[in-house]
Amino acid sequence: MLDVRRDHSCCDRRTGAAAWASADRVARRQLLKSAIFQPQDGAGADGADGTDAGLPAGTFPGADVSGTAQLPRAVMGTVLDVSPQVICIADASGERRFALTAAATAWRGGQLDPAAVRAGDQAVIRLDPSRRGVADRIWANIGRVTGTIVEHSAGALLVDEGSTRHRQVVVIPPRAAGRIQVRFPTLQPGFLIDVIGIRRGDELQGLVPATSQPAYRSDALPAPALVSGHVPDAISGSATWHEPSGERDALQGVAYPAIDPSTGCAEEAGGRSSRGYVRMPYLAIGSILLIRNECTGSSCVLPVIGCAAVARLFNDRCVTCSTSRRGRVADLTLASFVALGGELERGCFSATITIGR
Amino acid sequence: MLQRDDHDRPLTMQLTVIQQVQIPVLSAMLLGGCAAKLVRTLRLGSMEAGLGPTALFPLRLRRPLAMLVCAMEFGLGVGLIVTAGNVGRGEPANTIRLGTGLFFLVAVCALLELRSSRPDVGCGCFGDFSTAPVSGRTLARSVLLAVAALSTIGLPPLQLPQPAASPALLLGIFAAEIAVIGALSPEVGEGLVRLGYSEPCELRTLAVERTLTALRKSAQWRRHADMLTANAPVDVWREMCWRYVVFSSRHAGREAQIVFAVYLRQRRPAVLSALVDTATGEVLPWPALPARPAWSLRLAGFLRLAHRTRTATPPRPDAAVRPDAVVRPDAAVRPAWSGPAADPVPEPFHSAAADPDLGIPAYRSLSDHEAAR
Repeated sequence: MLDVRRDHSCCDRRTGAAAWASADRVARRQLLKSAIFQPQDGAGADGADGTDAGLPAGTFPGADVSGTAQLPRAVMGTVLDVSPQVICIADASGERRFALTAAATAWRGGQLDPAAVRAGDQAVIRLDPSRRGVADRIWANIGRVTGTIVEHSAGALLVDEGSTRHRQVVVIPPRAAGRIQVRFPTLQPGFLIDVIGIRRGDELQGLVPATSQPAYRSDALPAPALVSGHVPDAISGSATWHEPSGERDALQGVAYPAIDPSTGCAEEAGGRSSRGYVRMPYLAIGSILLIRNECTGSSCVLPVIGCAAVARLFNDRCVTCSTSRRGRVADLTLASFVALGGELERGCFSATITIGR
Repeated sequence: MLQRDDHDRPLTMQLTVIQQVQIPVLSAMLLGGCAAKLVRTLRLGSMEAGLGPTALFPLRLRRPLAMLVCAMEFGLGVGLIVTAGNVGRGEPANTIRLGTGLFFLVAVCALLELRSSRPDVGCGCFGDFSTAPVSGRTLARSVLLAVAALSTIGLPPLQLPQPAASPALLLGIFAAEIAVIGALSPEVGEGLVRLGYSEPCELRTLAVERTLTALRKSAQWRRHADMLTANAPVDVWREMCWRYVVFSSRHAGREAQIVFAVYLRQRRPAVLSALVDTATGEVLPWPALPARPAWSLRLAGFLRLAHRTRTATPPRPDAAVRPDAVVRPDAAVRPAWSGPAADPVPEPFHSAAADPDLGIPAYRSLSDHEAAR
């Protein structure tokens, strides 16, 4: 019998709404940082030996992202009704209707006609950025489980996704077992898994392998390559998405794999912090990243909202449009992933992140 | 024709010396490999975490195989030394040497198989140092060691160097062989890189306490310490090479904050500072300092620091160490794009509809899940 997990939420999130409400500190940090690095009189600089410090600029180099207004937007809700032309959903703000384009497609375990989406399905709808209230893509009941296998029995897996989430049950139906086992040959405790499928109640029906399984156990990560000199401003790799867990559905942001270990990674059990596969500069919650989807050319500036404790264990490549460099550099919220042009069922896109200074 | 005369005596002696050198070389290689694997195992806490040919075998066999390889390396390495002299001369010594030769021959075969089926995996011969994919050099080294081991079969017990065979010859052959093995070992390059490696500041781990200590020793701190209204920072965070520390302050009767940016370096880090109005976010000019000699300013700063250290409550480590504990994004930090996606969202971050974890109950095992169904 496995140990009972006594605490399913990290200390930060356990503090409740009051903690979440202090989010303006993120903006405050940006303001204070710009106050430090804006031109000022000599009284603010310690002349000891700051000459080689490489002072950051006051503004984000990629803030003037071209064409960002053209990025699509994602809405989520429960499907109330759907026809070939219109879909009606209910979310926290009430009932909403969206017209469907003629080329609109849907996904529920496979590609299907939008009219085949059923009432009651949990839908993620991508809105056409050029037309108000028009949708061109629907994902119904899509879910994803990324983590370390804790237990394996016939056709079912118990997966640990980090300390801030409950353990997830993944059921692999016989029709998908072969497809998944090609990419995940070792479905044994301790090994990593990343599957996309359909949410059925409290379990995920795993249908699509989101990546190829790393050959190592999650507790035996290969030593990362040594980095000499300064870390490059732009870092390439794979960008993935995660299901909202305690987050607002439409939250825009990114979980970053290298949160400063001195401040701890909330998503990691026991506050322990380990290095990920990709050596990335340490940042904090609230840091700003410019993320570019190399497959579509879309880019936008997003805040770091969490620690990608599981994503950093992977040394996989994303092969959505081209072969990315090894390692995951960003774990986007579902809304951000869709906004950047990602296809949820593919699981990733090749990305380049530039760290805001 | 096959009669030997004294003309080939030097050559025979040299061959004997070469054979004798193989024993310590082989032993050092075997024990070194075993030690490196053990270090890796201790660091990772898992025996099967080792790389190398064990990756060719099913998961359940990897751990016993890794243990077997390590044990054989240790046993053969020690055995070569023990049987090098008069102890175990004859059959036992030859058995150990034959076993060593076979061990390296099997290793050659395993590396060939590993190279073809798992070209991304290193040989794991020397633990973490052997992460580079198996190359021709790695194979040549194993072949060389196998030949070296087999060449020692039948070698009489090692003696102290004869007067005729100068120690210089012995050392020269030993050094030459070590150089050849070093040239065939990708691990040497990896080791040299690690020896001369210095982490870039962006990747350097430095405790918050050290940053605070360095800050309190800086001229910036001494200059502005008397403006602080609390000794503990209200916020600490890091971005790349800088750690930012924010303290409460008052300026001209208004609430203000002093933010220090400390460069992440072990000794004498650069420190920058700014005074910001808490309410408006406006950057305020520093108040003019009274004209005093520099030495008196420093003395006053030290005295203030000493006074604060004695009287003020020390900063709680948890307040400094986990400053991110209550920081979440909201509408104030939005994506840079304009349009509907960037509109302020009126509802709180935790909306009623956003049930944490999608309403999934906490399972301790799959059997619990089955029972719940």
